[in-house]
Amino acid sequence: MSEKMKFTYYPGCSSEATGRHLDESTRAVFPELGIEVQDIEDWNCCGASIGHIGGGPLPQLALNARNLANAKKNGNEHVFTSCAACYLNTHGSNLTIREDEKKREQANEALKAGGMDAYEGDLKVHHAMEVLVNFVGMDKIAERATNKLEGLKVAGWVGCQTVRPFAETDDGGNYDTYEEPHFLDDITKACGAEAVDYEPKTNCCGGSVAVMKPEKTLHLMKLLLEEAEKAGADVISTPCPLCQTNLEMYQEAINKKYGTNFNIPVVFPQQLMAVAFGMDPQKDAALHRNTIRAEKLEKMAKK
Amino acid sequence: MTAAIPQPSRTYDLSFARWVRENVKGGDKMNLCMQCGVCAGSCPIGDEMDNGPRKTFMMVRAGMKEEVLSSSTLWNCTSCYRCYVRCPRGIPVTSIIQGLAAVAAKEGYAPKQKVENYYFSKAFWWSAEKFGKTDERLVTMKYFFSFGLSEGIKRALDNLKIALGMVKAGRMHIGLPHTIKNKSQLKAIVAKAKELEQKG
Ligand code: SF4
Ligand code: SF4
Repeated sequence: MSEKMKFTYYPGCSSEATGRHLDESTRAVFPELGIEVQDIEDWNCCGASIGHIGGGPLPQLALNARNLANAKKNGNEHVFTSCAACYLNTHGSNLTIREDEKKREQANEALKAGGMDAYEGDLKVHHAMEVLVNFVGMDKIAERATNKLEGLKVAGWVGCQTVRPFAETDDGGNYDTYEEPHFLDDITKACGAEAVDYEPKTNCCGGSVAVMKPEKTLHLMKLLLEEAEKAGADVISTPCPLCQTNLEMYQEAINKKYGTNFNIPVVFPQQLMAVAFGMDPQKDAALHRNTIRAEKLEKMAKK
Repeated sequence: MTAAIPQPSRTYDLSFARWVRENVKGGDKMNLCMQCGVCAGSCPIGDEMDNGPRKTFMMVRAGMKEEVLSSSTLWNCTSCYRCYVRCPRGIPVTSIIQGLAAVAAKEGYAPKQKVENYYFSKAFWWSAEKFGKTDERLVTMKYFFSFGLSEGIKRALDNLKIALGMVKAGRMHIGLPHTIKNKSQLKAIVAKAKELEQKG
């Protein structure tokens, strides 16, 4: 393989628990595509979508500033993360530090209190999907996908924060659109699977509200499942760890509430790629970590 | 004889709107709002909101501080950013809603109403600050039990099956929480940030 590009990687809290399979499959797949993954040293939580309430906006900015200042030590220009909330916070904080002088000074004063060097906002922060679109390219994925997932029907569910509000990139331009993103279907196709038409592809699952009060958002997830079923999907593919966990873990509650019978596996595009690259179904694709097992995909995996 | 020039009484108190404009992220753009309703119409969880973003912004302008800060709109926003990218006037709707929620939490409007989001956020932040990481298991438990012991046990049991499935798949961490190495550094950084935020 030609020379690898080095990227600094921010795994995020879910990588050590509910989103372990996202982390494992990302670490497996990215090097295959020429991206060397180097972790941020001693990274901390980004504050997710509720840190501003629990801690306040400036403390949340400070959490992210610490990560970015540590990321700087790796000496790479680019940072990426697979988690939508981590991306939103890291990218958003990076822009704030870069563009808002007062906030930058405050963030740096906080860093200094922890004995850290100042950070000026000069790193470039990307979503893992953006890295695939802009740095790797679909051709390379298709070329590496030697174990094509023929006959697998995939509903591509982008969710919200992966493209909103930051589909614009640190290198200028957008990596996809807010309303009709197609990168996820492109990845599906590059893996040799079929991307079915999936109307609610940018719908919200309820995010953290679904975690704290599922009753309020079960109807949102029901619609996502219904449409996938109508489209004849074998699996739903989503890049977001919270989307994946919510939609998987609440299917039983949905069935109970609505008298439905859903049992649809929800996987990550990285898992699809790992199987399509002929990699190990457990160690690399982490398929054993899905609580609703993607049996059809498992059968396609090279043993 | 000329009639006396009427003295319209000031029914609006503009101080709140001004305060929001100057202190809430994105608040300076709020006066661009033309009340078109695209935001509210795009919201996936509008049914759970008393006012929704459009009306909230009008209420801020009208100086209705109490009503805005005790509104359910602030606590049900999922941060999906649909309104944010669709607003024809380029107003960062989500940021403003989040900013108002942070103010409401700080000013004590949330606990009065027993708002789930408030408790969940507090539990979440507790973990982030204490360990430097979110321990989803401890956060959930702390959150459940913030409603009292019996409610805590009920909610925990309701979720037991999900939890066991996660444990089996290796997606729920057992044992001591994951922590960052340099906890004292993080503590100093967050303490400083809190101090600066108080100063404004
Ligand atoms: S979409 Fe924008 S302009 Fe229209 S009501 Fe909402 S905030 Fe105002
Ligand atoms: S970001 Fe919040 S207010 Fe805006 S559409 Fe989504 S849930 Fe509704």
